[in-house]
Amino acid sequence: MATLSTHGVAAGDLALLIPVGRDTYAVSLQEVREVVVDPHVTHLPTAPPVVRGIFNLRGDIVPLLDTGLLLGLRPVMEEPYAVLVETAHGVAGLVATDMPMTVRLTESVGHSDMEGTSETYLIDDERLAVALDVAVLLSPARISQ
Amino acid sequence: MTPPESLTEGDFQRLFASEAEGRLDALVDELLELEKGGSDPELVASLFREAHTIKGGAAVVGMAHVAHVAHALEDLLEEVRRDRRGVDAALIDAVLSGVDAIRTLIPLAVAGEDHEQVAFEAEQRLRLALAGPAAGGDGAPPPVAPAAVASTSAEPSTASPDVAGKAEGAAETAAPAPSSPSSFAQAYPESEPGRGGTAASDALAHAASDDVAPHSETHAELHAEPSRAAATEMLQVPVHRIDDLVRLIGEASAATLRLGSALLERLERDPSTLTEYRDLVRSLNQLQEQALRARMIPVMSLAPRLRRAVRDLAHESGKQVRFETRGEDAEIDRGVLERLADPLLHLVRNAVDHGIETPDERRLHGKPIEGTVRLHAMQLGSEVIIAVSDDGRGIDVARVRDTAGRTDSAALEMDDEAALYLIFRSGLSTATRITGVSGRGVGLDVVRASLNAVRGRVEVRSDPGLGTEFRIAVPITMATLRCLVINSAGQAYAIPLHSVRAVLPPQPSASVGGRPATMVDGRPVPISSLATVLGTGNGAEGPAVVVAGLTRSHAFRVDDLVDQRDVVVKGLGELIPRLPAVAGAGVQPDGGILLVLEAAGLIERARRMDSGDRSLEAAEGTVPEAVTARRAPSILVVDDALTVRELQRSIFENAGYRVKVATNGEEALTEISDERPDLVLTDVQMPRMDGFQLTEAIRGQPALASLPVIILTSRGSDEDRRRGLECGADGYIVKSGFDQSALLSAVERLLGADG
Repeated sequence: MATLSTHGVAAGDLALLIPVGRDTYAVSLQEVREVVVDPHVTHLPTAPPVVRGIFNLRGDIVPLLDTGLLLGLRPVMEEPYAVLVETAHGVAGLVATDMPMTVRLTESVGHSDMEGTSETYLIDDERLAVALDVAVLLSPARISQ
Repeated sequence: MTPPESLTEGDFQRLFASEAEGRLDALVDELLELEKGGSDPELVASLFREAHTIKGGAAVVGMAHVAHVAHALEDLLEEVRRDRRGVDAALIDAVLSGVDAIRTLIPLAVAGEDHEQVAFEAEQRLRLALAGPAAGGDGAPPPVAPAAVASTSAEPSTASPDVAGKAEGAAETAAPAPSSPSSFAQAYPESEPGRGGTAASDALAHAASDDVAPHSETHAELHAEPSRAAATEMLQVPVHRIDDLVRLIGEASAATLRLGSALLERLERDPSTLTEYRDLVRSLNQLQEQALRARMIPVMSLAPRLRRAVRDLAHESGKQVRFETRGEDAEIDRGVLERLADPLLHLVRNAVDHGIETPDERRLHGKPIEGTVRLHAMQLGSEVIIAVSDDGRGIDVARVRDTAGRTDSAALEMDDEAALYLIFRSGLSTATRITGVSGRGVGLDVVRASLNAVRGRVEVRSDPGLGTEFRIAVPITMATLRCLVINSAGQAYAIPLHSVRAVLPPQPSASVGGRPATMVDGRPVPISSLATVLGTGNGAEGPAVVVAGLTRSHAFRVDDLVDQRDVVVKGLGELIPRLPAVAGAGVQPDGGILLVLEAAGLIERARRMDSGDRSLEAAEGTVPEAVTARRAPSILVVDDALTVRELQRSIFENAGYRVKVATNGEEALTEISDERPDLVLTDVQMPRMDGFQLTEAIRGQPALASLPVIILTSRGSDEDRRRGLECGADGYIVKSGFDQSALLSAVERLLGADG
């Protein structure tokens, strides 16, 4: 996937759309391992607020992260879906508040200056999706903040 | 003692002090008599009476700690009186140490000072001595035979009911003392002195023999009888037998639990109120712990293989490389170590192949021609840290970034720190030529995968031109952890049984010094609600679990007790920061997750919250900051092991201290004369000037007389401890048992006293 973009997902790529409240984010499908419906989350006391908890994925313990808080926005209130993404530090779940869908991204409509994101894409001519920079967003340092 | 009524409490105490002095003298005389002549029943009975009288007197005049030590003394002598324990050197030593402790404690008590640590240690030493041989031997002081600990340490409460009755409010626990910290100290008796600094040729020449000797000793001390003669005896046992043993102990524990529930259901007896039942459960737990320990082997048992690889590879590539090892006392579960063999081999080969430069190149850069590859191992809490470091050229981060960037453009954006970790990606190799060893693009990703399999993690640091260090942290054991499962604020948690001292029935808590406390074994122990401490809820009404950290205990009120379970503890992954109160999580058969709590972290958290309750300014975390604002106290860390130094630096810096480091005693003295630190924390074994000499040198300078010194060492023998304190150290901490919070609190205590 040689593209001009320096970030995880780019125009022409298949991406998974992650609805979070009224916003929509996109990650490259290549970075997604799977989507878990209604994960059974165990709250993790004393952890930073961005950690919603941990859940059991076929015997492995996976952290579930609050996508809203990770981006410095409002926290999510529920966790009906977990999008599991691969990171350099292992697999982590991002909360999606609605069903994630796969799309092929068209040309970027502008740069997003939110930290941890890259370009903004127009989806189905009606809504905007902001591409997430998983490497930046899911770093131990950021999660510890 | 019937003193006139007009006497004050202080008078009583002084009176008791002089009475006790005479009794202690008599006790020592009789004891030495006993040592000469074997066990004379009359003599033993008289000794027992002396101890008993001292205990009673101490309790009357309110010297609780003296009473505790005397009580332990009495229990030990009771065992001898009942012919359940023979007279040997270990017994004599233990009794003498008890006498010494009482002699130390009485004047302190008269002066209104408290010295719980002295009492606690003396008591522990006496309790450990309970496990001596049934008949006399030439018994050196512990190590203690594990099984004996299990069976006899359960005795005191039944053996002397009159005494046990004293702990009225305590409702509980004849538990001798938290078993794990003391047994840990016993289990890691001594480190191998000064192996790091040997000259190159020496190192190679000694290599083979050196590597074998230390662990055979360690093993003997761990598992053999408490006699020096036996210490060299070894027994080879097929691993599966030990595994069978562990499994059977697990089954016995499960059966005991079923027995407990049968008692409750059919006879309506709460088994936790039955001393016999508790003793049985405790013995089984100790048995399990010891059996698991039997599977542990020294990390350095891998050293010969690695040394060989270094040597061969160095020859092949025309480099001169010295291989150093440190940390001979660090042990780890055999199964874990087996899976570390390949990753370590890979890291060591990488160090020689990629790290160490050719002699010409080294000369050009003004480095010694001979490169060094070091393997350091160290136990830290429930983990073993293994570092593979070299003094070579370091990792070329720019090249790593470029190489990774060819297939992943995101890599180009990474900062150096993040880019360094790209070396763990599969398919990434920066080696410009392919050698037989490394540079094939497989390796470091495999290292990481192997470590994941044993719940380990790896960190890397690299300084261009100076070298690279890979630091691996793995849990000591993959085996299951026996846990007490409790409910708190709607969630189940597991507390490792080895840190559970007692369980107390629901009861209103008293207040000691303005803080809620409860009585355990006749002593006040602070009590908090677990939900409050974890921030998950408010106060609880249910039973309290008394948890023992390394230096202190704390009771946590929960909603209810669930059961005991074996939990396979997994780490929480790299993304979540380390949570001191959470040791990990276990996946339950029903798919649910059980969080496993960590005693030391929990206690530390409770204490911090507790002090926050008392004064608003001192809310959690702000104490060190307040100190920083004034002028952060400075600590000089003296240790020749890089890993240890850096680890301590990070611990103290995180706690708000300023940290300076030195690699040996001489260097430390220079640092001190440049700028006097507020506290010195020193290792013992160091080249040029060791920790004892450093301490003596500091104490030798009048200007530094009040400078607090803590000795931190892997040597846990009483002898060393005595030597450390004799040469003027204010504290002595054994590394193999130390945890972060214990270290911090020791430092806090000393700095508090200083200023």
